[in-house]
Order: sequence, then structure tokens, then C-alpha cells
Amino acid sequence: MDETVAEYIRRTVLKIPRDEIKTMLQKWGFLSEAQLQTINFHQIKENISQEVVQLCEENSADIKQAAVLDIIYNHIYPNKRVWSVYQMNKTGEETEFFDLTDFKKKFKRRLRSALKNVTINFREYDDNAIWIRIAWGTPYTKPNQYKTSYVVYHSQTPYVFISASVLKSNMPLLCQALLVASNYCDIREMELRSHSLNSLKDIVFKRYSQNFQTYYPRPLQERNVAPESADIRIIQENKNEKERIQRLNREVFGDGPQPKLEFAQYKLETMFKSDPKMDVLDKREPFRCLVKFSSPHLLESLKSLAPAGMADAPLSPLLTCIPQKARNYFKIREKKGLFPGSFVSP
Amino acid sequence: PAFPLAGECQEKVEEGKAYSPDGVFAYLEMLEARAHKAAVKQEETEQQEEKLARLKARVEELRLQRDELRAKVDLQQKRQLGKEGGVSNPAQPSARAVLEWKIKSIKAMLEVFYLTGISGKLTKRGVCFCISTAYEGTYLDSYHLDLLTKPEVQIYRHSVPIFIPLQQIAKKYLQTDIRRFLSVLSDHLNAYAGRRYQADQLQEHFSDQIEGTLQRNSLCNLLVFNYKVPSKSKTFPFNVRLLYGDLCCSLPTEVVISCTPNAPASLAETAAAHSDLFRRVALHKVFRSFSSA
Repeated sequence: MDETVAEYIRRTVLKIPRDEIKTMLQKWGFLSEAQLQTINFHQIKENISQEVVQLCEENSADIKQAAVLDIIYNHIYPNKRVWSVYQMNKTGEETEFFDLTDFKKKFKRRLRSALKNVTINFREYDDNAIWIRIAWGTPYTKPNQYKTSYVVYHSQTPYVFISASVLKSNMPLLCQALLVASNYCDIREMELRSHSLNSLKDIVFKRYSQNFQTYYPRPLQERNVAPESADIRIIQENKNEKERIQRLNREVFGDGPQPKLEFAQYKLETMFKSDPKMDVLDKREPFRCLVKFSSPHLLESLKSLAPAGMADAPLSPLLTCIPQKARNYFKIREKKGLFPGSFVSP
Repeated sequence: PAFPLAGECQEKVEEGKAYSPDGVFAYLEMLEARAHKAAVKQEETEQQEEKLARLKARVEELRLQRDELRAKVDLQQKRQLGKEGGVSNPAQPSARAVLEWKIKSIKAMLEVFYLTGISGKLTKRGVCFCISTAYEGTYLDSYHLDLLTKPEVQIYRHSVPIFIPLQQIAKKYLQTDIRRFLSVLSDHLNAYAGRRYQADQLQEHFSDQIEGTLQRNSLCNLLVFNYKVPSKSKTFPFNVRLLYGDLCCSLPTEVVISCTPNAPASLAETAAAHSDLFRRVALHKVFRSFSSA
């Protein structure tokens, strides 16, 4: 077995939390159950990984199999990477049949025709997600297994989720291969990025909770009513206001959990509005400014702003439009019309 | 408000004065305990009163019901007796009964609309439609469409899966014929739900007859897999490719079955029979028939 493969497997196993190593190796399926029984999973990870490499040596693992372990790891821990969303367009209106074998063949062929030194692996999951792992090399060097790009694609959808490696120069190549394989015409990067792959999927596939008004008697969700204090002498003075805020919040954010985003960034290119007498700027040019909101869970924190009394309800549509507009990077230019959304540029 | 009687209080205060300053806290504690006791007592009485009021209301309710039933019985009796047009005095249903009947019939109406698959509710800026899907008696997912009606009919937001050609259908029908739009969309969604249901059933209940993985896609309009028919003797697996060309249909438009090269020629007949079966019968039912045959 190649030294580089052994080292790669060793490093991949080291990334896995100790309690998960056994399950992940089982999912991988490259080592037999009997072989797995011989490993002591209670020792330190260094030793576990050495034992794993030893067994892989016995089975003569090659880079393709090692890459599968890497895909499995990234599929279970996708939040360690930053994902961007790309949108594809097509002009034709024929029904898509999406043949998986066809897709894989076309993708590999297109990519390899432009760059021979690539390692390409595919893995399909039950939710129709196709994971593609690409390790990039150059025309003169072998693929670097530590510089990988991941692509997640759901068949018959116009969205692709890409976690690119450092090498941005390979993006055009990757995009081309995707277009050819999926039978679309062009592709562009959306202004939507996050660590949480599932949340990005929720946003573009519209799987997040939107509060639709229906007559159908859905089971009433138990609202989070703080237990009324048993002492009836305590009265809520602001009950009406509290209820108004709750109602507005539910209308905007829905009842369910919000997609998980870490940032919202607003690039302002608007004119500084000051007292003309102050004359802060000699020239009338846009005052460039970048406003960035960051949070472990941005949308949940926006949702709790008004109930916590930290902001007025309703919140600015610039904040609440994020899931619906499927973007968290905005450019705001000078207002031309009245509706704020109209001057948010693509 | 629970305060001890004025006189009692003064007495106690005076008593308190007789004690050392350390007793002040004890005295306060005692007051607190007393106030608490009185509050509890008052709450008890209030609860009793509430209970009484509830029971009284219940009595009223029951009396009303009894009156209604009496009236019904009377009416029934009168009908039996005075068929020749005697001045019968039909019992006037009470306003409450009428209201209840109205609510019940509206709920039933809405239930019917929901069961037909397309229901809607007017919103501030337009209409919100709910399309429910079902396949052969099993209710599946519901999808929503929030439409604006001004300045023109447009989709504000929706929960339709991204691989359903919503934009295409909207472009064709949304402006001109909204009924057709909803009907076509409902057909697409129901057919998709049906195809997915069949594929899920196949994977869930007949996985022992499938060799390898079942290749499918988001729309479930192309399924490729290898299967074998349960039999005592050695069987050769078939490879089948089901193509659902019509997105509004939950049965395949094209079926391609092939056998392994070393299979006996007689299997070609079976393959043809199966091909016909797949085209006419739901996927999981086909496999059910294999198991029972």
C-alpha cells in the first residue's frame, strides 16, 4: 500500500471522534467485521489509527477506498466546512429523466478531459443527494488528497452545494463539468453561504417552516406560554403588546426551527445623510460601509429580538427576507423607489 | 385583600413591643404566615365559588339539552299522530343548536374541500392554497402556495418541491386560468407522491427480492434495479428500467427488462409478461403478486 494512502487514512481516522470511529469504519465497509473486532477502540486515537492502517495494509487499500472514508466523514460532519450555493439555469423545458450512471460518466469524462490528475469519488444517499469528492492535482503533479472540493447535488434540481478547497482556480472547471453532467446551460454563485449544509438545503428547497394560512385544523401547537404565576395578584401589564409581538413574529418566522446561518452581511453604498451644514464629505459620493451580523444561529437570534424587548416588531424586512430571498450577502444602494427590497442588487 | 382584623393587629403589635428586638423578625414571620394562610383560605373560597358557578352552568347546559330532547320527542310524537295536517307545533330549535349545526356543517364542508385535495383561504393580499396528495387511499404530504392577486396573480411563496416544474406550469396557466393551473399542479404533485410512495413501498417491503441498490431520482421518474422472482429453483435476476415519461402519471410509460446473458431463452417470455405488468399495475402491487404467486 502506498505510503501516502496510509498516511491519508491515518489522518482521516484521527479526525473522527473516538466514540464514532467504529461506526464509521463499519459504514465504510472496507474492513471486515472480524478485522474490526481485533481493534481496541478504547485506547488513544493515535494507536487506533495505527491499527486501522495496519489492517488496511493487509487489505491493500488504494486511494479510491481511502477517499470513500473521507466522504463518509464529511457527510456526517458537514458543518466543519463552509458551503456555498450555486444556481443553474436551463432553457429547454423537456422532462428530465436524470440517469445517475449517465451523470457520473459525463461528469468524470468532462473533468478528466481538462485535467487528468484528479481523484473523483461519488456516493449516493437515500435523500437523493449525490456527494462528489474531488482531489485536485495539476497537469504535472498527482492529486493532492488534502486539497479537496466537495459537491452535493440533488438530481433534477437547479441548485448545487459546493465546499471548495483553497484552489479557486479549479472552480470554472468544476462548474463546467457539473453543467455538462446535469444538462444545464449556465451556473452562477448565489449570495448564500453557511457552515450548515442542511440549513442551506432547507432554504433553497423551501423546507423551512413558513406560516401558511389554511383553514384545515392543524393540531394547535403548544405555544410557549410561561406558566401563569399562581398568584392572581400579579397582572401582565403589557399583555397586549406581548401578544402583538408574538403574532408578528409567528407571521414572519413561522412556528418551526429556523435554518442555521452564521452571518448576514450588508454592503452599504448609500449616501451619508447628515445635516447639510455639517458637511462631512466634500463630495457627494456614497459612504461605503459594511455591516455584518454574526451569531451561532443568526435567524433564531433575530426571531428572539422582539420578544426579548431588544428590537421593535416588526423587524426590518432586510433582516427577515433572508430565507425567502435565499441570500445572506446583500448590497444596498441608494433608494430609488419606496419599497426597500427594490434596491437590493442581485 | 387579606388583612387581620384591626384590633387583633394592634394587640399583637403591642405584644411585639414587649419582646426584645430579636423578636421583630419572628413577628414579621408570623405576620407573613398569617397573611399567607388568609390568602390560601380566600383562594379556597374563590375556587369553591368558581366550582359552584361551573356546576351551575353545567346544570343550565343539561337543562337546555333536556329541553331540546323533549322538544324532539314531542315533535316525533306529533308527527306520528297528526299526519293529516293537524296544526303541529314544531319545536323551535334553540339559537345555540342552530349555531352548533352551522359550525358542524361548515367544518364538514372544509373537510370535504381538504379531502378533494385543493383548498384555499383568502389572505390579506391574495389567496393561500393547500394542495394535498394521496395515493390509493393513503394520505401523503400537503403543499402550500401563497398567491398575491394584485397587481397581477403571482406566487409570493410556496412549499412545492424544487424539482416540480412549478415555474413552467405557472408561466402557462397562472395568469389566464387559475383553475387549470391548480389542477395541473395538483396532478403533478399527486403523481409524484404516488411514484415516490410506490418506490418507498418497494424498498420497505420487498427488499429481499431486489439485488443491489434501487437507483432512483428526486422526481422518482426513472427507476433502475435488479430483481428476482421468488422461486424454489435457481432464478436469474432481471434488470428493469422504468421510465415515467408523463409527470402527471404514476405508472411508467416505458419499461425495459433484460436478463443476464446466460439466462435460458424461456425467460424472455416471463420478461415480456413482467414488462406488461409493470406498465399496468402499481410497482409494489406487482411485487406483492410475485410473492403470492
